[in-house]
Amino acid sequence: MSEPVTQTREAKSYTYLYAFLITAFIFATAFYVSAYFNSQRIQDIRSVQDNISTDILSLETQFDLLQQRSCNSISENTILPSELTSLGNQLSYMEGQNTATNKDEVVRLKRLYSLLQIKDYLLMKQLAAKCKLKPIFILYFYTNIGNCVECEKQGYVLTKLAQTYPQLRIYSYDYDLDVPALKTLESINGVENKLPAMVIDGDVYYGFHSADEIQTIVPQIAELEKASSTATTTVKKK
Amino acid sequence: MIWLIYTLFFIALYFEVFMFLAFLTTKTEHVASVSTEKRVFPKVTIIVPCYNEEATLSATMHSLLALNYPQDKLDIIIVNDGSHDGTLGVARTFETDSRVRVFDKQNGGKHSAMNFALEHTDSGFIGCLDADSIVDSQALQAIIPVFIDSRVAAVTPGILIKKPETIMQHMQDAEYRLSVFNRFTLSALGSAFITPGPFSIYRTTIVREMDGWRHGHSTEDLEMALRIQDAGYIIANAPGAVVFTGSPRTLRALFKQRVRWTYGFLRNALDYHHMFANSKYGNLSIIILPTALISIFSAIIFFLRLVYLSAQGLYHSMVRWQILGVQWYIPSFDWFYFNTSMIIVLVVFAVTLVIGLIAVGTELVTGQKRIPLGTALFVLLYSFIVPVWLATAVVRAAFKTGVRWR
Repeated sequence: MSEPVTQTREAKSYTYLYAFLITAFIFATAFYVSAYFNSQRIQDIRSVQDNISTDILSLETQFDLLQQRSCNSISENTILPSELTSLGNQLSYMEGQNTATNKDEVVRLKRLYSLLQIKDYLLMKQLAAKCKLKPIFILYFYTNIGNCVECEKQGYVLTKLAQTYPQLRIYSYDYDLDVPALKTLESINGVENKLPAMVIDGDVYYGFHSADEIQTIVPQIAELEKASSTATTTVKKK
Repeated sequence: MIWLIYTLFFIALYFEVFMFLAFLTTKTEHVASVSTEKRVFPKVTIIVPCYNEEATLSATMHSLLALNYPQDKLDIIIVNDGSHDGTLGVARTFETDSRVRVFDKQNGGKHSAMNFALEHTDSGFIGCLDADSIVDSQALQAIIPVFIDSRVAAVTPGILIKKPETIMQHMQDAEYRLSVFNRFTLSALGSAFITPGPFSIYRTTIVREMDGWRHGHSTEDLEMALRIQDAGYIIANAPGAVVFTGSPRTLRALFKQRVRWTYGFLRNALDYHHMFANSKYGNLSIIILPTALISIFSAIIFFLRLVYLSAQGLYHSMVRWQILGVQWYIPSFDWFYFNTSMIIVLVVFAVTLVIGLIAVGTELVTGQKRIPLGTALFVLLYSFIVPVWLATAVVRAAFKTGVRWR
């Protein structure tokens, strides 16, 4: 047990100063620790993007080779690289963190992510044409501007579909992202700023569509092989 | 909004650090040296104000009678403040002891009972022990020597929870140990602004000089302490003088008690607003009172922010459930998704510091650093329930509704 304490009320300026310096140091440390983990995440995302780039390059090379050979070694489910979906989840999380320190970096990574998706989409279309495959593509456009509740709901529906039918090729794009290739994709498909929007088999569908409605639009979905267990991938919601 | 949160967090953390530094300085400079070589035993009166305390009065009295203090120097006055139960009967059973006197008066509130006893004593020192508290036998001997400094008007003890049983009481157990640290450090800064009901001892001449106790918006201990500070006297602390106090068993009872405390602080802060940001009062006015006031509003703002974020999360979950149905997810332990935002890192710092301070408070009063069981619950749950009574008290203080003891 301690001795009693009595003291005058005189303020000692050095206690105030030291307390300020220590608190500032703690804040700086917290900032550094948080920034460190975020930079590690960015590194992770970069690494995944590198893998995807390699995958796509590999697929392109394979495709070039196939120009001279048969399509035997390829099928609809060649890849929607699982990394691509995982990357979408990670970017979505990073965006949700909304930290000022890595905002620009996340946007930059998101642009690259969109490009990789477009690249995968185009490649798969070429493969499908050459090899007489019939993959089902859904291009999904959402917005992060304002409170797009329907975008969120549409995201959940597409997530569910992607989980149920892994061969379904769903690509999600932030409509407002400043990527020329994305703007071209939007323009080619005639997608207007009435979101959410989906492009299925060349037609544009605006507003929310339930899973049943989507399956009515694309009855072939029911013919796809169902996932054996619940996947954990998530389509960007908004 | 986020910058307001960070600013308030900085103030809260700054205060914690400031208190810890002040504590370390106190320990280093050892300002607490009190001579015990030449022991004196002045006459002391302990008032036991009672209002419907038949269940607990007996234990309180037995602990007082067991005080290690010369019999002829100890005067115990039980004031039955218009109880409706058998309190008076229980009190009368102690009259056989020469140290005990019993008075019966109409109900007028705790301050009136204290003033009544003040009129019936010639002791040099006077204190109070709430009838739900029990005191350690060495407590008075730990307190009286501190009055050797003539500037000391009051000495507060180290208060612990009496036999914590319920979850609420275990949480308060941890909270009270933190309060031991705070009370000790506030005294070291000359800035104690409460002289708690359980066994705070006063110099009688000073209490008389200040015309005794006031209603003080149902917090006469806080009002008296502010008045002592205003008059320029010192409130010291003797954490080794251990008192075990009764505590609310339920959330409802705790809520009522804390609304009264916070209401009392806010109303008294208004009454004594001249003590804020006035260098004449030193640390008390520069940092302690302003931070105490800001912390009330900070806690409410943090809580509202948390409620807003939780409501947002719930809304998104409901939208998801509506679309996908209820799904069971196996939790992912992918480090990528661990929240390492700056605010979370700061919370980890702050919580670690609070746990450390609970250990320091425990050591001050028990001599051991082992933190109580309720610490985890205190850290996890208390910050979610405190803002509710703070907000209630703020509203009631704004409308001057008044608060009742029970």
